[in-house]
Amino acid sequence: MHLGVDDDELATCVSCGLCLPHCPTYRVTGEEALSPRGRVAAMRQVQWEGRPADPSFVRSLATCVQCRGCETACPSGVPFGRLIEPARAALAAGPAPPPWPLRVGLGLLPRHRLLLAASSLLAVAQRLRLLPRGAARRLGLPDRLPVRRPRLRPSGTGEDPTRDVWLFTGCVMDAWMRDVHRDVQRVVEAAGGRVALPGPGAACCGALALHAGLEDDARALAHRTMAALPGEAPILVDSAGCGAALRDYGRLLGTPEAAAFAARVRDVHEWLADRVDRLAAAAGSRGDRAGRPRVAVQDPCHLRHVQRAHGAVRVVLAPFADLVELDDEGLCCGAGGAYAVVEPELAGAVRDRKLAAIARSGAPVVASANPGCALHLAAAGVDVVHPCQVVARALAGAGPVSTPPAAARS
Amino acid sequence: MGQTALVSASQPTVAHEALVADLAAALAPDRVRTGAVELDLYGRDASVLRGSAAVACFPLDTDEVAAAVRIARRHGRPFVARGSGTGLAGGAVPVGDPVVIVTTKMDRILEVDVDERVAWVQPGVVNLDLTRALARHGLHFAPDPSSQQACTIGGNVANNSGGPHCLAYGVTSAHVLAVEVVLPDGEVTVLGGLDPEPPGLDLRGAFVGSEGTLGIATRIAVRLTPDPPAVATLLLDFPTVEAAAETVSGIIADGLLPAALEMMDQPITRAAEEFAHAGYPTDAAAVLLVELDGLPAGLADAVERVGRIGRSHGARTVRVAADDAERALLWKGRKAAFGAVARVAPNYYLHDTVVPRTRLVEVLREVYAIAERHGLAVMNVFHAGDGNLHPLLLFDARTPGVMDRVHAAGEEIVRVSIAAGGVLSGEHGIGLEKRDLMPLLFSPVDLDAQARLREAFDPDGVANPTKVLPAGSRCGDLQSVPEGVWV
Repeated sequence: MHLGVDDDELATCVSCGLCLPHCPTYRVTGEEALSPRGRVAAMRQVQWEGRPADPSFVRSLATCVQCRGCETACPSGVPFGRLIEPARAALAAGPAPPPWPLRVGLGLLPRHRLLLAASSLLAVAQRLRLLPRGAARRLGLPDRLPVRRPRLRPSGTGEDPTRDVWLFTGCVMDAWMRDVHRDVQRVVEAAGGRVALPGPGAACCGALALHAGLEDDARALAHRTMAALPGEAPILVDSAGCGAALRDYGRLLGTPEAAAFAARVRDVHEWLADRVDRLAAAAGSRGDRAGRPRVAVQDPCHLRHVQRAHGAVRVVLAPFADLVELDDEGLCCGAGGAYAVVEPELAGAVRDRKLAAIARSGAPVVASANPGCALHLAAAGVDVVHPCQVVARALAGAGPVSTPPAAARS
Repeated sequence: MGQTALVSASQPTVAHEALVADLAAALAPDRVRTGAVELDLYGRDASVLRGSAAVACFPLDTDEVAAAVRIARRHGRPFVARGSGTGLAGGAVPVGDPVVIVTTKMDRILEVDVDERVAWVQPGVVNLDLTRALARHGLHFAPDPSSQQACTIGGNVANNSGGPHCLAYGVTSAHVLAVEVVLPDGEVTVLGGLDPEPPGLDLRGAFVGSEGTLGIATRIAVRLTPDPPAVATLLLDFPTVEAAAETVSGIIADGLLPAALEMMDQPITRAAEEFAHAGYPTDAAAVLLVELDGLPAGLADAVERVGRIGRSHGARTVRVAADDAERALLWKGRKAAFGAVARVAPNYYLHDTVVPRTRLVEVLREVYAIAERHGLAVMNVFHAGDGNLHPLLLFDARTPGVMDRVHAAGEEIVRVSIAAGGVLSGEHGIGLEKRDLMPLLFSPVDLDAQARLREAFDPDGVANPTKVLPAGSRCGDLQSVPEGVWV
């Protein structure tokens, strides 16, 4: 079958194998089929040599976390993300449609009011102990969903023309971790930004649909998101996965409008890094060395390997925390959007490596700029915060970070 | 598009099903694989060769490897051991539908004795992982092939692998004290020992570099090397390849023994720079990467001497890395150089010959001429201090007839190297790639002696058959040219 992969791009891999140790699924299994080189060779067999897409092929492709760590490692510059996405779409449309619970879940994400209501309902169920913790974790839910969420308000009042940045709020992050958005907004305002909030149209960037191979759904969501964030103002994103997806709209839709939209997207840390002096000044003596939290930085793959903006997180955090680097070269944590729900066993094995690296670092708190990673790590008992929350607490003079946000705690 | 496979995965016959069932019972069902697409992946390594496996299995310990070998034999199948599959000579490419025994799940460091500087490891431990795990003890595993971030210690043992730092520290054989081996009959034995000079014949020495033809290493005792107290890395750039090559000889003649002495010509420097952004001078005809180590007191003097020798041969600049980060960056481009060539052409064929250091310049000239005659682009990156050449021939496999030109050029490079007093392979092994070129270097008597050694370990020829030794090495040898292998 033809996988819809570009032949020239498929030809770029020289099979050197230098990607192997940078692939989370190869790392935990040692299996060629679960490595980037193996996946490329498998795609070539099916697209070029006409070999049937047998179960071993489906497993090879379906187990990819799509972390894109292989792209950073590849000396040949193989654009792995551009290979796996159409191949997964071809599988989803053909021999391996996504499982129905995933499709139901993905269908819920853009229906924001329904998502919020369902989320609150589940939160109540949790409080009443009607939803066992194990079941919640299997569904990828936090152990303690918020029953109520703080209300976000744009900077200023009414139709304020001085608002100069959008804050993208998204789907589950808004439903489960809105307190992160609130803190991000405070930090952006402290750095001099005037925040505008999008309407319900920007309730889902489409990343998870795209990763599941549902390209048409992803395109529809991209159009809707673009309409909800008009104008020229920069679009700040505090979720690394969403940011990577929004920045890829130009390629996904192939229109000049989409490319122009994508160019406006910035990870919030990139925007803040340019204004870090102002932030440090705003914190004043509260940012002093004494009492600074020790924070390990976990690089979400879509920040490090796709947006390549992980340096900005360190710039933003440095005045407010003693940073500890993990010694695993930015290997994926196994969250991968819905991956942890679809491939729990592999996701758990990959996470175990990250947990060991966190333990070796000795840091009591981990900063992660992606909600999927935060939830996945928190489900294993790690104290996870968003980097901007560390800054927000320093700005508020709240002292060291010692507790995670309610939504992400174990 | 592309090629059509001439081989198909084994048909699901009754005999094949019985083989798979026995393996599944001895190991675990989920560690025995027969899916056609997946099996095909175990028919390759990092070379351009391709074979086919009957079944792939993933043992976890010595007993399971022994069981897999015995089951393969009981079913009349050969077996091939495989690590990460980063070999470049087809050593792990399965010929004749064997059982492929993959060691990557045997990835535990079993024991580290810091005082004795010895570690016992399983064969699937990744080379660089071992060195990283030892870092807090101030020790490392010295062999450092360019693939060290991915390749396994078991694969290093099979190929007697080298690497840039083997100039001063020696290749893998110098760093393996003992090997626990599953022999081709399924028996387990230990070759070598931890004593400085174990009694008896050095069968360990025979085993290291035997490319899986004498059995499968299941536990390896490796020597650990103390980290040098001080390291300096220099980058020298030259207006001509000759000037760089003469500098190499000059450094050695001056009595210096650098830890590593690497050369890259202009095309590969450009490709590597594009990936690594190491600040390589892309307008230089050739660059030398020189690493010196030792006590801090002597190091400054050695750095000064290397710089002086380089300048006397026309080096335009001598850059000394200021810190570990800059050192790592300079090495990043060198170690990823092979992979980086895909930025120029989608396929490469990498050669690995050794010539006397004094004849580097003339052999290099020949290499460029051979490539030009065959209409192929060539890049050179190599261990200059050892005279270990790595010419890369670049091509697009989708071009009709290109493979014939690549092979013809490759063989000429080997012939030129041997004619200059060199050898067939520096560190990548013979595998399938160079097997039929062995008679260029070895007389019938040499080959017969090697074949008899192999026969002593493996009288039935079941361990990685058809590799290393060409058909006819042994008197009366009826071994045929392998079918189903193609490039």
